[in-house]
Amino acid sequence: MASTSKDNAPISVQDENTPDELEPGACPESILNPTDSFEEFASEMSSSLQERNALTTKSSTISEIQSEIGEEKDAQMKTTKSADDLQSKDGSISASASSSNLTEENGDDTDNAPENYLHSPELINKEKHVFILSSAGKPIYSRYGNEDKLAGLCGVIQALVSVVEEQNQDILRSITTKDCKAVFLVKGPLILVAVSKSNESETQLVLQLTYAFNQIVSVLTLTQLNRIFEQRRNYDLRRLLSGAERLIDHLLIFMEKDPAFLLGAVRCLPLPEKARENITNAITTTCHKIRDLVFAIMIAGNQLITLVRMKKYTLHPSDIHLLFNLVRSSESFKTAESWTPICLPKFDATGFLHGHVSYIAEDCQACLLLLTVQRDAFFPLSQAKHTIAEKMRRSNCLVAINDALNRHRDLPTTNPLKHIGIPEIRHFMYKCKSTAQLFTSDPISLDRLQDYRMRHKEGGDIVEKPIKKLSDIDYVRNYRQFCSQIHCTSIPAKLIFRSNAQDTILAWVTNGFELYVTFDALMEKDQAIKAVDRLLWWIKKEEQRIFIMNAPTF
Amino acid sequence: MSSRKKVLLKVIILGDSGVGKTSLMNQFVNKKFSNQYKATIGADFLTKEVIVDDRIVTMQIWDTAGQERFQSLGVAFYRGADCCVLVFDVTAPNTFKSLESWRDEFLIQASPRDPDNFPFVILGNKVDLDNRAVSAKRAQQWCQSKNDIPYFETSAKEAVNVELAFQTIARNALAQETEAELYNEFPDQIKLNANDNGRNRDGDNCAC
Repeated sequence: MASTSKDNAPISVQDENTPDELEPGACPESILNPTDSFEEFASEMSSSLQERNALTTKSSTISEIQSEIGEEKDAQMKTTKSADDLQSKDGSISASASSSNLTEENGDDTDNAPENYLHSPELINKEKHVFILSSAGKPIYSRYGNEDKLAGLCGVIQALVSVVEEQNQDILRSITTKDCKAVFLVKGPLILVAVSKSNESETQLVLQLTYAFNQIVSVLTLTQLNRIFEQRRNYDLRRLLSGAERLIDHLLIFMEKDPAFLLGAVRCLPLPEKARENITNAITTTCHKIRDLVFAIMIAGNQLITLVRMKKYTLHPSDIHLLFNLVRSSESFKTAESWTPICLPKFDATGFLHGHVSYIAEDCQACLLLLTVQRDAFFPLSQAKHTIAEKMRRSNCLVAINDALNRHRDLPTTNPLKHIGIPEIRHFMYKCKSTAQLFTSDPISLDRLQDYRMRHKEGGDIVEKPIKKLSDIDYVRNYRQFCSQIHCTSIPAKLIFRSNAQDTILAWVTNGFELYVTFDALMEKDQAIKAVDRLLWWIKKEEQRIFIMNAPTF
Repeated sequence: MSSRKKVLLKVIILGDSGVGKTSLMNQFVNKKFSNQYKATIGADFLTKEVIVDDRIVTMQIWDTAGQERFQSLGVAFYRGADCCVLVFDVTAPNTFKSLESWRDEFLIQASPRDPDNFPFVILGNKVDLDNRAVSAKRAQQWCQSKNDIPYFETSAKEAVNVELAFQTIARNALAQETEAELYNEFPDQIKLNANDNGRNRDGDNCAC
């Protein structure tokens, strides 16, 4: 008994509850690029073959900063060709989703080893596979199993992609079978494929493949990646990526669990306004004289604490996600100050920023990243970090961060549903569009992610588990289809209300925000709308705490 | 970290239809032979691990269709190959004559960086048959004239020289691989050019 209604009409309540017309979380200036994550894959999907092959030139942001700083060493440094920006932003639509059953017949080879490998426990029954290969068909990464043994499969993938490309002058987007989707993405010299049995849409899978590609770019830079394959098309990229497979592994798990990816937004660590201000001040007062510092970013538990930036530069949420992933995946940052080259693909895919990465203190799991264009700034930045940490300790910021991380009982943001006082709401997630920030009723905790990762490592298998109590991650899984209906390019829905015996879900998008709420089963529409009003009122009330409402610069 | 020692070689097998490309591959990978002829459609892909000088090498073998109508797949398949194996049938002189065009075709389509030194291997197959029509000498002469391409006389049916031929293929491809090892410079080259536009866009536009 499911009733689905999907209409843009009957909500006229949106303005009543927001006193100053700004939606909760909105502020005049943002540290993050406002994005619609779906725009990206919409552009990816609509680009034609010609557009993909035509390389547009884009100047390097890093060079721009460098030239402004006007280093003396300028002359000594080599120059490179500027970006091959492969994402053409506008263009004609040449969608060609084909539908067929992919069966590989290999005659009498049934008992040979590679053929059997595809049916081995390592590979069979996984919810989602991801394969990355070079355009020559050489394997680079496989989420499961041994990519060497999948060389044959990679050959087949390359053949499928290139037959469509060269014989039909078209792009292979996806292959859909009864219970499975294979989504293809050709980016520069790489072919990325996701084969999924999950409820994720084609566009959501394309987004994940784009992230995987950006993760590789983050390690190598786009310039180097393209150059390698220009010079040697037969190059075995695994040699340069060794050690980085783990980053892709973690990223894939991260993306499946955290709605930040689904919504293209960044989660902030809820903090008292004063505490966040103190942290930001500690950074700005310490760093304002360090000329070539581009970003100072403090994060904890995949949440942003503050971001201080060089004037006129902002960061794209997906670059921050890659930083989250880097920090989470690298145990070594915990034990020592690190100095590492980091390419942020959205910021500048052609070059590296240099990052001083360290945790603030033994007793505080906040990680500070100081990103500069200067290659040898380790010592000044190391010194700056110690000063910042000292200032933060003196103004009790470390305690505030720890309270937030440990989800101290007295904080209203620790258990928002209790505070809002509407027992029918089981879960919600809210994205403020203009600032690209996200808040959910039950932040996905580190431990739980860890727990999922452990389970994942053991299998990643499809499990038909009896559902006892939904976790936040399960709620997010349920939102996926609503999310894709709302972001559907042909007939986007503004409001979706679905009520059935399990639960009631309301998804609502306005110019200012996106909201997804899960209520108890069989909730009435009026009742739900009233509850949403109350919810938005609460978010507005707490916005200073749960969002970063300013955009500080050095 | 573990992948440091791993090597994967893409090997393309070319030759006229019916010379025994698939049979050779089957003999090499599966140690099997069938007298039945089944035309390859498009391409088959097989992998086999071999050991060359203590290195474990995975050979990704692209067994292509010899028939004319599949030839348009060429460019895509040849791209990024590490070695090319040309096969002819010693009992069919026309398949030997085709070698020249197969080789040219490959070099044009794959456009390797150093065409003169690209590793080819020639296999004269079906030496187990009595009605031989291309002499070993004639084949060898041709190979010598092409910058000394290694030549092997094989029988997929009786497993003659198959193992040895593929060992040589792997070894020669590997030699190229290590020779042309990319100079791994610190990949951090930054373009420095004065960009005054950026400065003007800056926040100091307080025209008060």
